[in-house]
Amino acid sequence: MAADRPIVPAIEVENLTVSFGPRPALLDVSLRIDPGMLVGVIGPNGAGKSTLIKAIIGFVKPDLGRVWIRGMPVEAARGQITYVPQRGAVDWDYPITVQEVAMMGRYGNIPWWRDPGTQDHRLVEEALQMVRMAEFKDRQIGQLSGGQQQRVFMARALAQGAEILLLDEPFAGVDAATERSILDVLESAKKGGRTLVVVHHDLATAAEYFDRLALIKQRLYAYGPPEVVLNLDLLSEVYEGKLRVFESLPRTGGSA
Amino acid sequence: MIPEIHQAFVVPMQQTFFQKALLGGSVAAVVCSVVGCLVILRRMAFLGDALSHAMIAGVAGGYLFMKVLFSTEAHAPAMLLGSLIAAVVTVASIGFVARVSRLKEDTAIGIMYTGVFAAGVVLVSIFRNYIHIDLVHFIMGDVLGVADADLWVAAIAAALVLSVIVLFFRQFQLTSFDPVMAASIGMPVLLIDYALTSCVSLVVVSAVSMVGVILVVGLLITPAATAYLLCDRLDKMMVLAAVFGVTSVLGGLYLSMWVDSSGGGAIMLFCTGQFLLVLLVAPKYGMLAGWIRRRRMVPQHLVEDVLGAVWRSKVQPVPMNVLVGLVPEPAKRLTSAVRSMVREGFLSRDGEYISLTRQGESEARRILRAHRLWETYLRHVGIAQEELHSRAHLLEHVHDKDSVDYLDDLLGHPEQDPHGAEIPVNYTECHPGRLCSVSTLREGRRGRIESVPEEAAATDLRPGDEIVIGPRAERGTLWTISKLDGTKILLPHKSADAIQVVVLDEPTT
Repeated sequence: MAADRPIVPAIEVENLTVSFGPRPALLDVSLRIDPGMLVGVIGPNGAGKSTLIKAIIGFVKPDLGRVWIRGMPVEAARGQITYVPQRGAVDWDYPITVQEVAMMGRYGNIPWWRDPGTQDHRLVEEALQMVRMAEFKDRQIGQLSGGQQQRVFMARALAQGAEILLLDEPFAGVDAATERSILDVLESAKKGGRTLVVVHHDLATAAEYFDRLALIKQRLYAYGPPEVVLNLDLLSEVYEGKLRVFESLPRTGGSA
Repeated sequence: MIPEIHQAFVVPMQQTFFQKALLGGSVAAVVCSVVGCLVILRRMAFLGDALSHAMIAGVAGGYLFMKVLFSTEAHAPAMLLGSLIAAVVTVASIGFVARVSRLKEDTAIGIMYTGVFAAGVVLVSIFRNYIHIDLVHFIMGDVLGVADADLWVAAIAAALVLSVIVLFFRQFQLTSFDPVMAASIGMPVLLIDYALTSCVSLVVVSAVSMVGVILVVGLLITPAATAYLLCDRLDKMMVLAAVFGVTSVLGGLYLSMWVDSSGGGAIMLFCTGQFLLVLLVAPKYGMLAGWIRRRRMVPQHLVEDVLGAVWRSKVQPVPMNVLVGLVPEPAKRLTSAVRSMVREGFLSRDGEYISLTRQGESEARRILRAHRLWETYLRHVGIAQEELHSRAHLLEHVHDKDSVDYLDDLLGHPEQDPHGAEIPVNYTECHPGRLCSVSTLREGRRGRIESVPEEAAATDLRPGDEIVIGPRAERGTLWTISKLDGTKILLPHKSADAIQVVVLDEPTT
């Protein structure tokens, strides 16, 4: 099926079903994400957005279906894919600097008997440059703003050298200016050829931020450019008619 | 026999020292336990430990102060006041260190209380010829040698603390449950916090002389923790904790008489034993209860296997010994599963014979439908024929309505699974009087058209027409329906989905 296609998809998900008990978290989700895309995963609470991300990194074992990372099974693609968790669980008083956090991204590649090499330092430096945190590299992480903290953890992911980044709600609980600065980082990572999949909860900004949107509620309702996915009929089906804000959206007969 | 019981239980009671120990210990235990409930809910157990140690500096300070100024030896009220001051200073400095530094509170407690405790130890040893405080006595306590003064102190402290807790119960409850909300309705949260720590200090100070520095923490938290395993309300928990406190003192004192041990140690040993016993047998949160609950719980897959086996069985009703052969599960577990399913109304049992109830039958149909649709789906996504059954068996537990309906629609409402077995109809929905899509009805069913949306406008069907569903054509992808006048209409999947009919006849089984 993929033989006549020149591009190997960055992520390919095939008939993914994941369940915890009688209700499926994901049902029959098939999705192919081309390299270099900035993809938003949207859907209501409990729709399985995080489960999808966790299934892609191989953290959740699916009942059925397969995940391919650049044409390889997930287990073989370790190191090519990185997960940036939500910001909540970090002890911000921990005595550690920005540079050290970013260096943690390299720990998987440094044997225990060796110090980080020049290559590691270069990658960390580049990652910090990319998220524009290089000037803060000796700062303790508690002395940063929320957006800067988020960017440090993105630098850690970038320093890992992964081509594919999965981010769980990076925009949760930050102000508009911070959101902008995080988005800038996402975009420059994209320009660097990386593929980014971002769990997002704000439909109002989804069209502006992402190249592609995946609308999920257990099943994949739509995947495509924002103007196709953000369709009033689809959204009111997925959000069960609880959206009043989007009456201005196009109303096509469910062609997506 | 009788004289032995008399010797064991009544004789100690007649001793004055025993009576005093019982009285003093009980008073201290009641108030410790009640305050302890708040302490464990606030996770302050370590603070109780800290306060009891820090006291020694106050005791030494009070002793010294009275000796130097008034030349009185071991002036009890001054020592008590000193302890209280030491406790308050400790609490305040813990709060201070935690606030001004980045250190977490548990670290601040560890630093400050050992500091104050050390000051006390140094003070006592410097003036060892001058003041006479027995450190061992202080650390171990002496409930059997309790003095009248200690009794009075304990009684007054208890009365004070209990009154504060009772009067301000709601304040303590809210600030320990949701301090932010408490602050938002104007409660002085900080003041209430100080009141609680003062109560803890007072309680600890009054109980230390009886059970000692180390054991007072146990008296503070163990009865409260025991009560916590038994109830779900703070007020009941406090009452129950007080009861456990008193039983600990009573049981512990007898224990110390019988084995001739230190009173404080025996009390805490009894108290701990009491906790372990409750941990084992508590009806709701106990280990035994949890174990029984897990044993009793029949796993969902077993319920589904039993339903499926009874439903498919050719012999009806199914004798128990036949069922054992149909379900791969030890007979004992199967028997208990059947028993619980009878209780839940899925099965009815007549001696050794088992049959499905109406509810059980519709559940069995639902699961079988899910199973066969999953098999069809697995075939559809390219799973090998020989794997279908086992994989579908794992997936059939996903049988909520939305998922099953989705699969049904995705697969074009198939009538047969890949093995050629019939997929049960959507039994619960397709009942007389219910609204259904034409696509979900099988051959031979009758209905009256309710609505014909745009997608199917080309057909000359009108609302109100009566129709009979005919056989599917084109390998199941075209629906045939006939009107009463005999005209036949062919519908593709989309149109058949869109046309809604009111069902007129009972589903065939």
